Amino acid sequence: MASVLLLIALLHHSFGAEYDANKPVTLTGVVTAIEWTNPHTHFYLDVKDAKGKVVNWKLEGYPPSVLYRNGFKRDVTMKVGDTVTVFAWRARDGGNWAHSRELTYGDGKKMFLGPPAGTGEGAAPAVEVKP
Amino acid sequence: MKAAALLFGLLLVPSLAHAQGAVGEVPRFPDGKPDLTGVWQGGSTLRGSWDESNGGTGVGGSGRNPAAPVVLSSNDRPAGQNSAPYQDWAAKKVLESFRKRGIDDPTAQCLPGGLPRSVLVGLFPQQFVQTPTQLVILYEYMHVFRVVPINGKHPDDVLPSYMGDSVARWDGDTLVIDVIGFNDKTWLSGVGTFHSDALHVTERYRRVDKDRIDYEVTMEDPKVLTRPWTLKNSLMLREGTRLQEYICAENNLDPGRYDKLIKDGVKFER
Repeated sequence: MASVLLLIALLHHSFGAEYDANKPVTLTGVVTAIEWTNPHTHFYLDVKDAKGKVVNWKLEGYPPSVLYRNGFKRDVTMKVGDTVTVFAWRARDGGNWAHSRELTYGDGKKMFLGPPAGTGEGAAPAVEVKP
Repeated sequence: MKAAALLFGLLLVPSLAHAQGAVGEVPRFPDGKPDLTGVWQGGSTLRGSWDESNGGTGVGGSGRNPAAPVVLSSNDRPAGQNSAPYQDWAAKKVLESFRKRGIDDPTAQCLPGGLPRSVLVGLFPQQFVQTPTQLVILYEYMHVFRVVPINGKHPDDVLPSYMGDSVARWDGDTLVIDVIGFNDKTWLSGVGTFHSDALHVTERYRRVDKDRIDYEVTMEDPKVLTRPWTLKNSLMLREGTRLQEYICAENNLDPGRYDKLIKDGVKFER
């Protein structure tokens, strides 16, 4: 019971707990699904690896309201079947999912799908660190 | 011809005024008190629409203007300001949250941001609706609201809550909001900045021109702080921006991910 409570008390919005800023990745592939949900959107891409095998990647993005204010047009900017390129940072667990940053779509247009590495974990401690 | 030139000149004046950075007057009620009504963005100092003023490369930025300053994420306190004066035991707890990259953040459970975090966040707008007798503030971030009576009194039986119980009074042109009745389940400003149920927040909102509110907040909590902690920031008017829905609990996957990281022994602390 105690461990269940502990796990419930842990959680998201911290880049660095789930993603590794030292593992950038650029993925080009075909959009297979878009989840327009809070607190994060998700984009799925079919990407061919070096051996030609297709791997489905999951990319986390801004919430819908933030994408909307940044000029992302639902069902226009990116649709299932489109080929796009996304710059992202990989998850720490090594799975095929990542924190998305820059989308390249259409004829080379670019926009941000997610915030910079490090967002949400605090750039500096809120208190002075005593030696 | 003269009339045409005059008309042309008149048409030109507003755009020139805008280009030169002229600022608009503070809207006021018939009794002379400032009207704070509008959609505002915390964590920013730039004038203009949401699109014009969020072209930076930081949190929420579009990247169209890489030179633009970064707005604040919900876990960064305003730059260059006082660090939090925690008692020694409490400072250790704050640092432990920082070391663990904020995995114990209450908003990671989709709980309300509390104060002043909800005001300082730059990624989401907040809307003020003011009448002569009350101010209603709607926060897109976590979809919470405050109803603030002006010249009202706290009830005798305040229930502990995430956003506290607010009452306001005018100090000249500054609206001073006194907030008590918090629970101990939110962070103040920055990773790990917990507080107790003894938290007392005093906010000062002064609309200095049409586009800008100067915001000053003082936090007092004798159970965890050694002295009052004051932060200053501004709220910028975002005409044309409409609040959107943000229902955080819809698809919050992070609890499961953290569960797995810990079970698998993946190292993520700093």
